[in-house]
Amino acid sequence: MKKILALILAFACLTVAFAGCAPSQSSAPQSSEAPSASASESASQPAASEGKTFRVAYIARAQADSFAAWLANSIVEEAEKYDDITVDVFDGQASDDKENSLIENAITNKYDAIVIQPNNGEAQRPYAEKAVAAGIVTITTNARISGIEGASSVDADPYAQAAVNAQLAVEQVPQNANVVVLNGPPGNFHADQRRKSWQAEFFDKRPDVKIVGEEIANWNKDEAMNAMEVWVQANDKIDAIISMNDNMAAGALEAVKDNPKFANILAYGVDGTAEACLLIKEGKMTSTSLQSAYDLAAKILDTLEKLLTGEETQIDTDIDCPLITKDNVDQYIEMHKKAGAIK
Amino acid sequence: MKTRMIWDKIKSKYSIYIVLVVMFFICWLANANFVSIENLSNISRQISVGTILAFGETILIIAGMLDLSSASVLAFSGVLSVSSYLASGSLLLAFFVGVAVSVVCNIITAIIVTRYNVPTFIATLSMMAMARGAALLYTNGQNIYQIGDYVEFGQGYVLGIPTPVIFLAATLAVTWYLLKHTVFGRSIYAIGGNEEAAIASGINVKGNKMLAYIINGIFVGVAGVLFMSRNNVGLPNGAVGYEFTALTAAVIGGTSMSGGIGTAAGTVAGAFIVGFLDNIMVLSGVNSYLQEIVRGGIITLAVGYDIYAKTRRTKRKLGKINA
Repeated sequence: MKKILALILAFACLTVAFAGCAPSQSSAPQSSEAPSASASESASQPAASEGKTFRVAYIARAQADSFAAWLANSIVEEAEKYDDITVDVFDGQASDDKENSLIENAITNKYDAIVIQPNNGEAQRPYAEKAVAAGIVTITTNARISGIEGASSVDADPYAQAAVNAQLAVEQVPQNANVVVLNGPPGNFHADQRRKSWQAEFFDKRPDVKIVGEEIANWNKDEAMNAMEVWVQANDKIDAIISMNDNMAAGALEAVKDNPKFANILAYGVDGTAEACLLIKEGKMTSTSLQSAYDLAAKILDTLEKLLTGEETQIDTDIDCPLITKDNVDQYIEMHKKAGAIK
Repeated sequence: MKTRMIWDKIKSKYSIYIVLVVMFFICWLANANFVSIENLSNISRQISVGTILAFGETILIIAGMLDLSSASVLAFSGVLSVSSYLASGSLLLAFFVGVAVSVVCNIITAIIVTRYNVPTFIATLSMMAMARGAALLYTNGQNIYQIGDYVEFGQGYVLGIPTPVIFLAATLAVTWYLLKHTVFGRSIYAIGGNEEAAIASGINVKGNKMLAYIINGIFVGVAGVLFMSRNNVGLPNGAVGYEFTALTAAVIGGTSMSGGIGTAAGTVAGAFIVGFLDNIMVLSGVNSYLQEIVRGGIITLAVGYDIYAKTRRTKRKLGKINA
């Protein structure tokens, strides 16, 4: 009985291992079209012969991260517009180790292109270099791993994303204001760059402003809300919430939403999530800048097409980061409605 | 001599509450804002979700089991509850769905544990992955916004008392009553203390373990509804790590990881110790990195003192027997 069980388990392990390499029908919802050819079959075909479809592996940072999931969904959607590209999505599960093995698997599997959304740029760098060395079209995105010879990149510039908000805040935040700051996970490229941008574009220009609270809330709404609830106790006056993303700004606003003392509080974020757009519309949040997964996805697919067809050999490009305020928020709410994020 | 013995007895029996009271006064001294009604009500609201999970863990740990899946099941039942509210507009139905989903997940775990004798660590570890995956699959990894009146569960007030605190008090009462005054309570202490002996004395071990998971399921479901509602959003990736917040509260509160020992009141004390600590550090603007170090250190100190106070008493007792 035990032996049979062991055999079954061993078989199950093997199946799972192979399924990991070559996504089968079961992962169809994640891929733009269910890959019809098995891994070995398509691997033996010449990669770039005419009329063939290009196989692209998209290695996502973590499907549990709502922005990463939005980006993965957008890439799959966008890929449907291209007849010659199929995309398989793999989940790095917020682990460097996992993500690196997925890249290795994709190289072994002879994908025509690999798109990497790093969990931690430096940890994935040697693996991205391996992909380039294997002659595979390699793109790094959100955030880019810069300086890899032969690799391309598509990204949004986190410094600029925060800067557009900071420049607005320089004018809006009252004299001698008290502000609170909510940070993303330390070591995260976007978290660090956005904070750096706020320092240079706002705090250095406004020495009168006092930071009365600064916490790491790890991009999370619940953690930001807890921090804000405590700050409200310690401070009678908080003039502005400066947050490195929209989730945390929304969490802080949630904590003061029924408190008349903070009815006029200013709140700045980054990302342009559906929730932030609604809050801006209601007049509760001040501004955010859009990091559009749709734009990123469109640019990634466009870049892929150009690289795979040999039109270009290396591309580094950034998407825009438009500022969203009450004046232009309607068009972005419309965008989110179309995507089905809100009604 | 006699007063000293009484003091020793108090110290050993109520050591964790002494830690709690001492911490309370230290926090008071450290920051004047700490004792405001508003702040204390904040702390209670903030620890409510974790503490409700901790009651479930307390019951399971006493019975010699544990639940690593509680935070994931919370997220899964929470998002289903939110979307059933959006579909039906009924708060009652949404609440019921949240609890039901969580109970079903826990029954599955319990069946795996009792029928196939899979260790609870493994059974709940796999449920942790499955429930999180299910929550993400159901929502496609996206948050559910515009949840309307659903926020009443977690942000409302009844007679001036915040609703999460009412849920917290209710689950505390239920846990206390179950552990102290029911056959079920006595049975799980027996099972956790010595399972073989419990079987030998005719206790329905499997049935009681199943019941322990069902009760845990109800608590997790309630916590899920509260969590989503407090955050005003359906978060499929929310509450990550809450299972450890819950386990920490239970263990600081004197629940023994080897089973058979633990109380509801101790768990509340454990939860408040962590709650006070987190609160005072943010209130006083302690550096975020330093906070982690202090948190770890204080937890070791609190539990260390608790164990020290208890073993000293045992030693003294043993000494008396020898003499």
